[in-house]
Amino acid sequence: MRLARPLENLIDNLLKLPTIGPKTAQRLALYILKMPAAEARQLAQAIIDAREKVFPCSRCGYLTDIDPCFICRDETRDTSILCVAEEASDIIAMERTGYRGRYYVLNKNFNLMDDNNLEDLNLDSFINQLASGEVKEVVLALNPDIEGEVISRYLAGLADGHGVKATRLAHGLPVGGDIEFADEITLRRALEGRKEI
Amino acid sequence: MEARDFRNLEKLTYRPGSGLNIILGDNAQGKTNILESIYLLSVGTSFRTGSDKNLLRYDKETYALRGLYSCNDRNLEAELTYHLKSGKMFKINSKKTTFGNPLRLRVVIFSPDDLFLIKGSPHKRRQFLDFILTQIKSEYNYNLVNYSKILKKRNLLLKREQYNTRSFAIIEEVFIENAARIILARINLINNLDEYAASIYQEITNRKGNLKIRYALSFPLESGKINHDALKEALKKQIGEKKEQEIKRRSSLVGPHRDDLNVYQDGRIARYFASQGQQRNIVVALKLAELHTLKKISGFNPVFLLDEVLSELDREKRHLLLDYLQEAGFQSFLTSVNLDEIDHKSAAVVTVKNGHLQ
Ligand SMILES: [Zn+2]
Repeated sequence: MRLARPLENLIDNLLKLPTIGPKTAQRLALYILKMPAAEARQLAQAIIDAREKVFPCSRCGYLTDIDPCFICRDETRDTSILCVAEEASDIIAMERTGYRGRYYVLNKNFNLMDDNNLEDLNLDSFINQLASGEVKEVVLALNPDIEGEVISRYLAGLADGHGVKATRLAHGLPVGGDIEFADEITLRRALEGRKEI
Repeated sequence: MEARDFRNLEKLTYRPGSGLNIILGDNAQGKTNILESIYLLSVGTSFRTGSDKNLLRYDKETYALRGLYSCNDRNLEAELTYHLKSGKMFKINSKKTTFGNPLRLRVVIFSPDDLFLIKGSPHKRRQFLDFILTQIKSEYNYNLVNYSKILKKRNLLLKREQYNTRSFAIIEEVFIENAARIILARINLINNLDEYAASIYQEITNRKGNLKIRYALSFPLESGKINHDALKEALKKQIGEKKEQEIKRRSSLVGPHRDDLNVYQDGRIARYFASQGQQRNIVVALKLAELHTLKKISGFNPVFLLDEVLSELDREKRHLLLDYLQEAGFQSFLTSVNLDEIDHKSAAVVTVKNGHLQ
């Protein structure tokens, strides 16, 4: 069956999104077609706005529309503790645990186990923060997979070079699970159980 | 259990007994397909093919397997469905899950292929250990996957001559850490297997034979102690000594991927000295030891699958094994072409023809 060209185009674009299969893409596309025109325009505009106005914070890497982001500006936070996460979404999970330190998001977009090396990580801002002398402890909240293990060791070495203690989320996390999906209780337990590496 | 459109099993319903089950049939009627479907409900992959497409009945796009079992008095239901397009889906008690689920069925498979366990490649013996460990601890499989990733990465860096980088040093640290984890788990397993295998082998050989199994490291371990730190230290030392060789050969020469399982029969290494008959006895002892070890560590009985192995054993051993299975407290499934010389007093016997039970 042939679909109208613009509809087909919409479906094809939705299909590029993660977790969206052909059936869901079609359902979403048909839903959008039934939306009031103003609402559909709003959705399109929201995508454009978010894409154009949101960027990683130059200091911590968290997604923001002001630079530095609201977390980096927040003076009530404990600046002596720096939590390193892989993705901005990990910060959302960490925030829910009541953590009140600062963050550093790697936002890495490469595959360490395949082609890239640790030297390819852009860590300038991280190293600057270590050098500032303000940070006393780095908490490594990377995914407990092999890649996370390698990067954690590397970062712990850098921290050590600046005389900064590095700890790692140790227990309670499901082995092989993404931090993003850990529920708050296990994440909190993991945080309490962090141990020096 | 039920199987639908699985190989030649169009729609099969099978209610086995709780002890020894014998599945009879001529060649290519579907005996092994039944064992294979039980195996799949436990492990998720086949012991005969790597491709799920091969498991589909002719012209079909989907197969479905369902099995009811009990584990520690808990009644459970496992379902596995495969679709050509969307792949596999596994459920336990109607809930989507993975083959790492601790409630999944555990199996021990004994097929003619295992007769090469003694004389075959070290890879085969490592697989034997890894398969058991994966069934005992889902974490082990995760460690194994991690180890193969880090090994691959280390080899890649050796190939690209990037062994003097900071990356390489870190990768090596993690490599050693993971290698030690795998080795320690394997040694722990062998300690358990050894005990059972020795006493079972004595039974098989009327107290005349002596069997011992040991883990053969690919590097020397000087301190007599075996723990995580000692292993790490020994690995580190050996890697340091082999560095030039590794650079030259561009691959990792030390680690669990190069280790082996040594089986000693009457004090001599079986892969060089055991006769064919002795090898078979050893494999029987190892398989039964696997079963007992799984039970001991995981706390519940695995299901024992014996695919066409009876004909490989001599008359005496066959009787011994059959008696053993009929008296044992676990469930077993055995395929055979006929009942000749099979003493099946308390076995449940079915015949399969053209994919249907008769
Ligand atoms: Zn920030």
